[in-house]
Amino acid sequence: MTTTSAEMSQAGMPFVPGVLEVGPDGKGHLVGAHCPGCGASYFPARSVCSRCLRGDLERVPLGSSGTLYTYTVIHQSLPQFETPYILGYVDLDDNVRVAGQLVDVEADAVELGMRLTLQVEPLASQTLASQPLQSGEVGEGKQVLWFRFRPEAAASGPPVPPTGKPPTGKEQP
Amino acid sequence: MTDVYAVGVGMTRFGKYPDRDAFDLGAEAALAAIKDADIDPRMIDGAYFGHVYQGMNAGQRVTGHIGISGIPVTNVENVCSSGATAVREAQIAIRAGEHDVVLAVGLEHLSSKFRGALAPEEGDVEGAVGLTMPGVYAMRARRYLADFGLTHAQLGMVAVKNKANAAMNPFAQYQKTVTLEEVLASRPIAEPLNLLECSPVSDGAAAVILMTGDKARQLGKGRAIRLAASALRSGKVESEPSSMTFEPLTRDTANAAYEVAGIGPEDVDFAEVHDCFSIAEALRVEGLGLFEQGTYLLAVERGEAQIGGRLPINPSGGLLGKGHPLGATGAAQVVEVVRQLRGEAGQRQIDSPRVGVAHCRGGKAAGVEGAACTVQVLVR
Repeated sequence: MTTTSAEMSQAGMPFVPGVLEVGPDGKGHLVGAHCPGCGASYFPARSVCSRCLRGDLERVPLGSSGTLYTYTVIHQSLPQFETPYILGYVDLDDNVRVAGQLVDVEADAVELGMRLTLQVEPLASQTLASQPLQSGEVGEGKQVLWFRFRPEAAASGPPVPPTGKPPTGKEQP
Repeated sequence: MTDVYAVGVGMTRFGKYPDRDAFDLGAEAALAAIKDADIDPRMIDGAYFGHVYQGMNAGQRVTGHIGISGIPVTNVENVCSSGATAVREAQIAIRAGEHDVVLAVGLEHLSSKFRGALAPEEGDVEGAVGLTMPGVYAMRARRYLADFGLTHAQLGMVAVKNKANAAMNPFAQYQKTVTLEEVLASRPIAEPLNLLECSPVSDGAAAVILMTGDKARQLGKGRAIRLAASALRSGKVESEPSSMTFEPLTRDTANAAYEVAGIGPEDVDFAEVHDCFSIAEALRVEGLGLFEQGTYLLAVERGEAQIGGRLPINPSGGLLGKGHPLGATGAAQVVEVVRQLRGEAGQRQIDSPRVGVAHCRGGKAAGVEGAACTVQVLVR
């Protein structure tokens, strides 16, 4: 399932190197590490298992379902982020905790323990208040990909537009 | 093992200094510590400097200012524990027999580097999705209040207490009391945390002169305070999601310090802890074993943590009241603990304390509890 670097460069660039991939089906996922010895999982991926020190960790695609451990509404942030936005720590069913933004939900409807779905999607420039290092498109129509969480029921449809096409903006609420 | 004593302390008032730089502030703090120690500065045979954003050879720029160039100078960076790590490195050098008299300084000019919220480590995935340091602690606060059935008003009392202490500290950035209503009405930074529950952007420096017990006795340093332990730990990589309402890193660092000092948490008379946000103070003191988990805010309500209470926490005003120039913070905590143990803390003096603790921690990256944590035990 691992995407080659050529495929990845067609689909888009991860917003942080190595943290996510897009499979041949066009669906994106986070990349973690799994210890074949003790079963521990890590995100971001690491070289050596902190629990048993095995050095042959496997890079694995992480699933998209998880439970909200805690959250905040951020009102003051770095210049590239338009405020306010909801940010949470989500415990994926793969037993790793991931920080990410929550969308398609009102702040007062967010509840600890709610089920969420992670979606890899283009990082739209409208998400950003000013022009940062990252933007929705890079160079020859290449997209920067990142991820956000949605309530389980609200998440549907192909998360990433077909390879090569620019973001439509439809993915942004 | 060689005994190590703090014989001189000094600091600048914390605040915003648009017309000065970190090196000038560092020089002021170092000269104040040398004066307080009442020693010939030529006795200083080594110096350690902690800072985060001050660039190359910051320490040499300070020693050059104050006429003690030529001695061994070491610069350390350990996020918010940088100043505390400088103190720790200084005492290691003394215990190792390398130096007899050492200057340790923490310094930072943050206002020229940042406005508003600090992000976690550069390039870290959590920072790249929009997580800020206030956001990290806001999320810990949300979960803590939910898990222990506590309210935001109870949390806000930490800020009220610390700002009241800072109002009695001439070295504090803010010297004005605030009411709980003002805390709860201040603008939200990362919900539930409001502006008055977040440590400010600050500039400043703090310095400590350490020497061997033999030297202190030889020079007749009657006000010397023993640095009984100075422990450092780094955060472990998490191999599964864990509670964010308790700090194994603080607990482990504290246990290492208590063991070396030959004390337990029950022996601690007061503590300066890393209250970068209101919730942080609860997490620190519970990690230090000074209060049971989930009980600290109730103890604050009962007045136990204020000056005059059973176990005063952050008599200096803490980071919330005194300010938080990152690299200077850990050294400034030692300055306060020494002043309290000497009985020289003025209006905010605690009644004859014998054992004081300084706790610092900082840094955050995805999948790691924290980067650096220090716990120092000082005994009169």
